[in-house]
Amino acid sequence: MISPSTNTLHLLGSSHHTADLKAREKISLPPGHIDDFYSGLTKLPGLKECLLLNTCNRTEVYGASDSGNFSPQLLSQYFCDFRKLEPDFMKHHTYECSGEKVVQHLFEVTSGIDSQMVGETEILGQVKKAYDDACKRKVSGKILNRLFQKGFQAAKWARTNTGISKGQVNLGNVLCELARRIFGDMKKCRFLVIGAGDIAESAMEAFKSRGSQPITVTGRTFDWCPLSRRKPDELAEKFGGFALAYPEFQDSLHLFDVILTSTSSGKALIDYQQVQKCMKLRPSRPLFLIDSSVPRNIEENVSKLDNVFLYNMDDVSTIANENLKSRMDEVDRCRSALAKRAVQLWDQMRAYRSPPASINQSTAPLS
Amino acid sequence: MNINEARDLLWLAGGFYGLALLFGFFKPFKTEFHPFRETPLISIICGFIFHTRALYLRGLDVHGCPLGNTLERVQFILWSLIITYLILRILWRLNLLGTFCAGISMCAGWLTLSIASADNHYWLEDNYSRLFSDPWIELHASIAIFSYGIFSLLAVVCFMYIIQRQTLLSRKSNQLGSFLPPINDLEHASYRLLSVGVFFLTLSMIVGGMHWAKQPEFVTSSKLVITIALWLGYILLFLLRMGNKLFGSRFAKSCIALFFIAILSLSVVNSKTTDSKEENTSPNLTPTQSE
Repeated sequence: MISPSTNTLHLLGSSHHTADLKAREKISLPPGHIDDFYSGLTKLPGLKECLLLNTCNRTEVYGASDSGNFSPQLLSQYFCDFRKLEPDFMKHHTYECSGEKVVQHLFEVTSGIDSQMVGETEILGQVKKAYDDACKRKVSGKILNRLFQKGFQAAKWARTNTGISKGQVNLGNVLCELARRIFGDMKKCRFLVIGAGDIAESAMEAFKSRGSQPITVTGRTFDWCPLSRRKPDELAEKFGGFALAYPEFQDSLHLFDVILTSTSSGKALIDYQQVQKCMKLRPSRPLFLIDSSVPRNIEENVSKLDNVFLYNMDDVSTIANENLKSRMDEVDRCRSALAKRAVQLWDQMRAYRSPPASINQSTAPLS
Repeated sequence: MNINEARDLLWLAGGFYGLALLFGFFKPFKTEFHPFRETPLISIICGFIFHTRALYLRGLDVHGCPLGNTLERVQFILWSLIITYLILRILWRLNLLGTFCAGISMCAGWLTLSIASADNHYWLEDNYSRLFSDPWIELHASIAIFSYGIFSLLAVVCFMYIIQRQTLLSRKSNQLGSFLPPINDLEHASYRLLSVGVFFLTLSMIVGGMHWAKQPEFVTSSKLVITIALWLGYILLFLLRMGNKLFGSRFAKSCIALFFIAILSLSVVNSKTTDSKEENTSPNLTPTQSE
């Protein structure tokens, strides 16, 4: 099936490496167009198998041909026609490769080292979803099945054996990790959000996904009137939480384990005396305060109180950056290890003209 | 290496605890380091088996619970520390706690083994008969030393609390902090360990007190004062914690400080007066123990 003299694997793609957001928006395929895209793609002469990976940061088309008749330029030409793009635009914002490089590229994508946020795990799920979709459409066959299954294995190996996924880099996740180090089980954490900035939303999403108790939101623009929706009310509704009247939050501080402020009030909303009073009502239970506002909303000296842990955005960003740096330090090691695995797989694919039936059967998911 | 020699076995047990410390620390931090998953726990269990056999052999030598010199007392405390950890380990996965316990057991164990004067062979004296002539005193001593083992585990947990707190207050990315248990859980664990330790210490005080009431001449006044002071210290700590008057880092520091006082007081508690020396059948036994 795979001849040593010809490249049977092909890739055409565009990602944050070659295209800015505006260009990626033009290249990316809207969900409603994917059926049409696949039906045209499968009709390309010489192309036996194909797979589309379409995420917010990358659009990639993987193809496999069984002879030297297929020209990789056909992919680019088809894409240009389908998306009505200029060939020059495509040339500037896409990359193409064939053979062993496709294997290596896929390994880097699945393991997360090619992602904008190095080491992120979301991409693996997206690739799996794209692969499942291709299998359901019966456009992925022996070659791509083997390639993608090996890609998933490579991703698992990279995450287990290298430090590319160590530490959190997303601000919301960093906050969750800190909360976990303080309280352990997030299901027991009561979370109060004061204000409704982007950080608040990111943190709420992260806390909610980890199963925290319903989140309480309050803010100066909070309004009880359902006709005049403001952001705090919307946030509470979006995350299935509660809204608290702003004048009441200062007397309720002791009821919460994690308090995040994200307002632009420009003054301290929580002072030393308030936290001291709050800690008297919950002496042995820690309190995690996050001040994501500039100017700050929580007096800095509250951190002098026992069992109070105060973080501002500089602190959280520093941790995220340190984690990212340690991930970056691992990228080269991971890349060279994945390259070796890619060479091995490519040699196997070339050596076996027809892969054993058991591999193909076991690797292809049930459609 | 003679497996029928208590000291050799104690060295070996220390070696296994050292292995557990090494594997336990490398496992979370070194991604390219792949020992067998349960290596630290297996090392601790192996160390504990040799440790137990060593104390058993020494017990046969001294005809009683081996608590007659510094080495024996320290080793018994370390043995209690490990057995408490292993019991807790059945209920919860506490790998890093095991690493800390193994580290302490190795360091303290090897240190006492390397000090020759800590292990005087009192049972080889001509007029030596047995360490404890009264089984109630043996029970008192063994429960007291077991409670010290629990207090040593409490000190380890408090030490972990302080490290976790420091890493949180440093506001930097810290790998050790990620592997340590949550600070809230450590606080709860330390309170429970203190409760159990205080229970056993009180029990040993009751048993010892019954003997003292019958034969007060065998207990030196310094031992009596220090033992009661230490017991009161732990009771006070327990009451303050129960009433939420002492908690967090101050509670953790107090537990560690009191444990060090307890360890230091061991030599005083077990030292003898000139008068009692004449009464004792063996030169290094406490009056209470030797009768």
